Amino acid sequence: MSGGMGDMTIVLRSLRTRALATSVATALVAIAVALLLVLLSLREAASQAFRRGTGNIHLLISADASPLVAVLNGLFYANAPANPIPWAKFKEIEGGFPWQWCIPTQLGDSFRGSPVMATSEEFFTDFEPVAGMPFQFSDGRVFEDAFEVVAGSTAAKDHNLQVGQKIVFSHGSGGSREAGHEHADHPYEVVGVLQPTGSAHDRALFTNLVSTWVIHAEEKRAHETEAPATDAPTTKADSAAASPTDAGHDQHADHEHDQHHDHLHVDEADLRDDEKLITGILLRIPTRPGSDSSASIAAQFDRMRRDVSITVAQPAQQIGRLMALIGDVDWLFVAMAVVVLVSSAASIMLAMVSSMELRRRQVAILRVLGASAWRVFALAITESTLIGLLGAGIGFSLALIGGQIATTFLQDRVGLVIGGTVDPRSAILVAAGAVVLAALAGIVPAVKAYRTSIARHLRPLA
Amino acid sequence: MVASQSQGGVSIRGLRFRYDRGFAIEVARLDVAAGEQVLLAGASGCGKSTLLHLISGIESPETGSILIGGTDMCALSGSARDTFRGRHVGMVFQTFQLLQGFTALENVMLSLMLGAPTLDQPRGRAEAALERLGMRDLHAPVERLSVGQQQRVAVARAVVTEPSVVLADEPTASLDPANAEAAVELIRSAARVAGAALVVTSHDPALRSVFTRTVDVEQFGVAADTAGGGAAR
Repeated sequence: MSGGMGDMTIVLRSLRTRALATSVATALVAIAVALLLVLLSLREAASQAFRRGTGNIHLLISADASPLVAVLNGLFYANAPANPIPWAKFKEIEGGFPWQWCIPTQLGDSFRGSPVMATSEEFFTDFEPVAGMPFQFSDGRVFEDAFEVVAGSTAAKDHNLQVGQKIVFSHGSGGSREAGHEHADHPYEVVGVLQPTGSAHDRALFTNLVSTWVIHAEEKRAHETEAPATDAPTTKADSAAASPTDAGHDQHADHEHDQHHDHLHVDEADLRDDEKLITGILLRIPTRPGSDSSASIAAQFDRMRRDVSITVAQPAQQIGRLMALIGDVDWLFVAMAVVVLVSSAASIMLAMVSSMELRRRQVAILRVLGASAWRVFALAITESTLIGLLGAGIGFSLALIGGQIATTFLQDRVGLVIGGTVDPRSAILVAAGAVVLAALAGIVPAVKAYRTSIARHLRPLA
Repeated sequence: MVASQSQGGVSIRGLRFRYDRGFAIEVARLDVAAGEQVLLAGASGCGKSTLLHLISGIESPETGSILIGGTDMCALSGSARDTFRGRHVGMVFQTFQLLQGFTALENVMLSLMLGAPTLDQPRGRAEAALERLGMRDLHAPVERLSVGQQQRVAVARAVVTEPSVVLADEPTASLDPANAEAAVELIRSAARVAGAALVVTSHDPALRSVFTRTVDVEQFGVAADTAGGGAAR
């Protein structure tokens, strides 16, 4: 407005004269907005990290108890699967349909708590950990031989792994009582380090299947020769049927492993079929270019589901179910943040209503000078809306910073790689919500301003 | 100084206003000519301020008309009356009623912005009005000004829009006699310069000698029991 004075000057001056109340109200809005945005973006990011983590796989097969467990174990390394799939079953499935690719995986060993997955080279060439984004090496190459290992980015960072380094795996997942049991006579050489993918695979190390089979075959045969007198057939049957990892070894947990197996050497060619155990099969069905789905997915899913010896999962579907399960819980957090936002709006209203009692004289003066009742109503609404805008702006900045901190935390502690940015659509929604709530909070004081009796509030204070 | 287009004084006809407690004031006829200066005298509580509030349109009468420059205040709707007051009526209060948190200049400019937004050069007008009244520090927050300076700001604010009429409510009540005389003189000369009629209320008998015309407001008072029909409300 001309001469540098306008309604906005009145509003800003009014906010400034009540700096403390303005700051408190703004801070409350900012905190609520930041909280909401961080919760929403974490929620979204976590669900995305899960959804992305299934990569370009269509079907996952394991011998786990349920499809959800199969996905959590096979793609997110929650636990080593307890039950193996025989090699013959793999061959049967591989030959049962013209898959785009069919990749066997075996989980069970670990390196200082990081899971080790034994698989084939196709895992790096065909499987994409995030759809459309194949694995890339930051150093080195794919394993080509037995006892070569490729490290995921987080695993490499956590354990300071570099190409050329020799490492020894432990049997079982790191935290168990068997953690001390190391495959000491079979060191692996790090031949490659992967770039971050934003999936759970970043936490893992990868070897070829032969390495794992050889180690476990040697150990198993050593145990068999160590204890030939005991009820050998039973033990053997048990071991073959049980996991190549846990069950078989638990039986022999009291054996002295340090003095073990006297270099009973097993070559790839010597491996019997019952020693070629895997725990999962990743499958992709051929699709038309540009499409990720095919009618065959459901057909193959239904066909293989009839096989009771295996569990078939459609990972995307299972993650959807998981999100639906935990969704109710995290909506609670969002609801809490909404409550905080609403209460911050209430605090704006309270602050303004209480100050309105003091400011009625100011309203009366403005009216005397020619401002209509509507104009002072609008001034009060503008005032509360400005608090909302300012709070939303500060809250947005706080959310960006908070999101960064949370991202770093999740990456370091949980290995969950998420984007630290606030989703623009939810940001706009939350900010708009805060502004609207703040504007609504201004209605009561604005009505009070509107109704202010000029004559009464201009009487000199006696 | 040439008087603005807002010529014409105040013309009251058949005015009746009733207080909540039944007491009423009735003004059958009261005229203040353009540029005329009138003192509304009477004891405290006789209705001087109410009459001033009625003229300014702050209070609405039960019946009657109040013409300012030919326009009937009472016939205007709420916001039209606010706009009309901002443009044609300047008010000076006993306690000045300046807006805290704003500078002297801003207080005067607010009057232009709210009351006469069509006038050009609001800043220049505001500065000129303050300087004409002897104000030097235009950028000091009003709460830091002395009483005398605050009075100058209040008067400048009332006359800067070149109103038809300036209404001053007990402008000397909180001043000692020497300052009271100076204050009244300040308002009178400012109104004269602005070409506005001036209506001043005061319970101070000393002011009667200053004004050529004095109206005794006590004559307009109507006791509660004779304020016909008033008890019904």
